[in-house]
Amino acid sequence: MEPIRVLIAKPGLDGHDRGALIIAQGLRDAGMEVIYTGLRQSPQQIAQAAIQEDVDVVGLSSLSGAHKTLFPKVVEALEANDASDIPVIGGGVIPTEDIPFLEQKGVKKIFTSGTAMSETAMFIKELVRGEEATPPKKVSHIGIAVQHLEEVLPFYQHTLGLPLETVETVEEEKVKVAFFPVGDTRIELLEPLDADSPIQKFIDSKGVGIHHVALDVEDIDERIAHLKEKGVRMIHETPKQGAHDSRIAFLHPKSGHGVLYELCEEKKER
Amino acid sequence: MNESYNDQKRKWDEDVEKTIQRFPERKESFTTSSGIPVKRLYEPDHGDVKYINEIGFPGTYPYTRGIQPTMYRSRHWTMRQYAGFGSAKETNERFKYLLQQGQTGLSVAFDLPTQIGYDSDDPMAEGEVGKVGVAIDTLEDMEQLFDQIPLDQVSTSMTINAPASILLAMYIAVGEKQGVAKEKLTGTIQNDILKEYIARGTYIFPPESSMRIITDIFSYCQENLPKFNTISISGYHIREAGATAVQEVAFTIANGMAYVDAAIEAGLEVDQFAPRLAFFFNAHNQFFEEAAKYRAARRMWAKIMKEKYKAENPKSWKMRFHTQTGGSTLTAQQPDNNIVRVTVQALAAILGGTQSLHTNSRDEALALPTEDSARIALRTQQILAHESGVSETVDPLAGSYYVESLTDEIEQQANEYLDKINDLGGAVKAVEAGFMQREIHQTAYDTQKDIEKKEEIIVGVNEFTIDEEVEPELLRVDEELENNQIASTRQARETRDQERVSAVLRELKQAAVTNEKLMPIIVKAVKEYATVGEIANVLREEFGEYTAM
Repeated sequence: MEPIRVLIAKPGLDGHDRGALIIAQGLRDAGMEVIYTGLRQSPQQIAQAAIQEDVDVVGLSSLSGAHKTLFPKVVEALEANDASDIPVIGGGVIPTEDIPFLEQKGVKKIFTSGTAMSETAMFIKELVRGEEATPPKKVSHIGIAVQHLEEVLPFYQHTLGLPLETVETVEEEKVKVAFFPVGDTRIELLEPLDADSPIQKFIDSKGVGIHHVALDVEDIDERIAHLKEKGVRMIHETPKQGAHDSRIAFLHPKSGHGVLYELCEEKKER
Repeated sequence: MNESYNDQKRKWDEDVEKTIQRFPERKESFTTSSGIPVKRLYEPDHGDVKYINEIGFPGTYPYTRGIQPTMYRSRHWTMRQYAGFGSAKETNERFKYLLQQGQTGLSVAFDLPTQIGYDSDDPMAEGEVGKVGVAIDTLEDMEQLFDQIPLDQVSTSMTINAPASILLAMYIAVGEKQGVAKEKLTGTIQNDILKEYIARGTYIFPPESSMRIITDIFSYCQENLPKFNTISISGYHIREAGATAVQEVAFTIANGMAYVDAAIEAGLEVDQFAPRLAFFFNAHNQFFEEAAKYRAARRMWAKIMKEKYKAENPKSWKMRFHTQTGGSTLTAQQPDNNIVRVTVQALAAILGGTQSLHTNSRDEALALPTEDSARIALRTQQILAHESGVSETVDPLAGSYYVESLTDEIEQQANEYLDKINDLGGAVKAVEAGFMQREIHQTAYDTQKDIEKKEEIIVGVNEFTIDEEVEPELLRVDEELENNQIASTRQARETRDQERVSAVLRELKQAAVTNEKLMPIIVKAVKEYATVGEIANVLREEFGEYTAM
């Protein structure tokens, strides 16, 4: 497949190009072909460069406060040249309250300060290819909060007849966990170690029972970027270490419509 | 004990006597909260060769411990907050507010069209008028900017580079109208074009012509504005673009050497112009490295001026510098945290012996500062000056194994860069070849990757994050400003004597072609209300415009 082509442009007189240069290199490292216009480009020059270079997307950077004037002008210049199919995105020092105005003027997306390069790359891929991040492969495990493991173990082991895989203590999370494989997924029982344990807090407010559902994903960074893109609130914005050297991150239950979802990337054999 | 150590000590004692006659110390005696007396200076029991040659006493070559014998015991650093937005009238109000609040010097931020030599009604200026600073088109705007601010009582720093000669000429003209002779004006123009090519982007002309304009200013000021700093050789923006502390020092000093070379080439005497060279550094996050950085830079410059350029006037050896806290370290997330960052950075600059300081406002990752934020930033300096006690003894970090070692290491690594730049033919050639630009970009990119991998933690950005829905109150520049400014500039063009303007612009063009002095003609031009854009355009036609690779 042909690589995605991106034009990174600096409209107006702003000379701060640290961000533009970094994003250009970051997108190159993500496999895209990137053309950087250099400083002081008029909206007309940017539109012409986008057409001549046959790019898939135009990325604008401004830190001087001129974005409300200049970004819409680039969109207009593309339209005037019959190139309204080339989407425009932007970044820089842009107050949140200006974003709705810019979007209404046809800018597809504004990335504010602190955005990871991977998140921008992911957005561009989706924008251009309509590529969705690889969906979860399976349910990795279902987490169930219990007050005392030894009270419920006989039910799982003898009544349901499931084999006990491991019992481990995760001091950091103040829990003791027991795993039972079921087909290619697992049931995870979680017992709080003390009153401060998040599991105890869960039990105190909701009672024992299903605590979370863990989804197995191929690339957790990509998946988090994708979910954030879709407006999902993450409890963990970057992955943390889980059991068996896996990398995990929880979604906020508000975004999961009352269900606590966990993303889980299993350790890859390399 | 070593003889020359005692000699040095005696000399310092004499210097102190002289200094405190002119600048008495702030208090009769300095003590800690427990009543422990704080001495003016703490020094080793036995000065070894290293102390004598590399560290020395404050106010004594090579100035590692500071350029004055008593430093902040006599006078605190100048608190100089960079400000400017919208119209000259609005900025004039902010200046007067800051002076009322106890600020001790002015620092003008110009908008981008002014910095790149375009009038507000130029198509290139669209959307940028009054955004990052104040819009100045004619002398009328400049008169408004300093209305009721007596130029003989305030020193003014102007962040202006490619058109520095034009804005300086306007400053002179405003002084004249106020009845202040140009010999009495004090302040600084940034006038450092090399770092514009490297990092900041507000260049106009190609390097060779730019260097001519700069030495032309040096020569004019030497004769007419003896108290004005003719350049502020800036590492600040190099650091903002992503450089390390070592790169900041190395590239700044390399640029400084290029200006010295150009001035000597133009026939000036080193001891005539070098005392008016000033510097400008960043104050970044890593506290000890930053404090050591200033000490290393001061020592390097002293050695270079004395040994390489054979300057004989000690004023030529002294690196005087302004510091600003690091804008790129500010976060848009949890902006109040920036107050703490700024405090730590400002402390490093003070312990590094800065002559003046700008502390950034908490909201500058989002917009220009509101009045409240600007006041907190100034208060931060006042708290450090008056409450923390850090300014009661000179160079308190001296003798720390860590700080002295960092100072040596920064000097050594920066010298390695200077050798490389020298091999490339000097700073101008290195800039043209994109050497510094590439080095800085590589560092910036590596930093970004470290942040994304969380190998570098930015509080509130990649760790310790919270959900933030409310954005603080931000300063907005009135969207009508651009139209108003355009109208008033057009009005000014209509009311002046057009024939006199055309004549002086022709004269300027002639001077540009024939290598005559430019500054006196530019002063004449601004007094006729020629605009920044008109003057810059005459020079553009002759010198051409620079385009980056």
